Amino acid sequence: MQDDDLDRVLSREEDIVPSSGFAGNVMDAVRSQASAPPPIPFPWGRSIPGLAAALGLLLVVAVRFGSGSEAPAGNAALLVKALEAATTFGVGWIALALFASFVSVALSMRLAGGRR
Amino acid sequence: MDDAGWSYPARSRVKASEDEADVEAVLAGEIEAFERIVRRWQGPLVNLAWRFCRDRARAEEMAQEAFLRAYRALNRWRKDAAFSTWLFALATNLYRTELRRIPAWTVPLGEAAEARDPRPIDGGLEDQDRASAVRSAMLALPSKYREVLILFYFHDMDVGATARSLNLPEGTVKARLSRGREILRRKLPHWLGAPHMKEA
Repeated sequence: MQDDDLDRVLSREEDIVPSSGFAGNVMDAVRSQASAPPPIPFPWGRSIPGLAAALGLLLVVAVRFGSGSEAPAGNAALLVKALEAATTFGVGWIALALFASFVSVALSMRLAGGRR
Repeated sequence: MDDAGWSYPARSRVKASEDEADVEAVLAGEIEAFERIVRRWQGPLVNLAWRFCRDRARAEEMAQEAFLRAYRALNRWRKDAAFSTWLFALATNLYRTELRRIPAWTVPLGEAAEARDPRPIDGGLEDQDRASAVRSAMLALPSKYREVLILFYFHDMDVGATARSLNLPEGTVKARLSRGREILRRKLPHWLGAPHMKEA
């Protein structure tokens, strides 16, 4: 088949006419969207003190772990310290909970996306 | 309003000033002005969606969503391009995403081509069969070629408009057009020797 043939066939596409209620349906959706209250913005103002406190705490922990060692800390010693801290704070459980949440959300989205 | 026989490039030239006035009215709070935009562009947007999915109900659903998104994003149209160009790029992006999420029903490319003996029995039927085979084969193409071909023919074979709708460089559009056509020719070998179709 030559390009000319392809052009003729694909250019002569039949058009469909939108159903009579199409514009009305779109405008109904637009009006309902326009009358809906605007989405609640994230309260950045209120969250700033909390975020600043968390950041400060993180810095304090980092400084303590970084400078509080009596012996010269090599890579192995740092790793041991990190593991000890992880055990103390229950990082394993937190990681497991995060993983379970991720799987749950991914599965829900997949199921919801597949159904239409 | 008569939507039959619309021509996208012609309409976009004629309606550009009306689009701009209506957009300004909507942004000033006159929601009803958006209805004029919807009535002006419902034909092209529904037809573009139809070419992507070949399902009338779904095409109207996708076009409605495109209009809603356009309404929400109206203040982001910067007027550096025609409103229609912006609208088509937005709709194309939405249709592509939708079709990737839930693909249109298509026959596999190998089965789409040459579904029956193409030897001429009747001129009209032959034309219909040929058109049907080509469209089926086009819908079964990998998405990057299919999208370019759909947009190219939708925009009356205007490479520039196709590139703007897909947000791709013109060179990429030309390369994909060429490759897409090549795949179609390879998949429709029996039509190669068939006599040319009659002019409409």
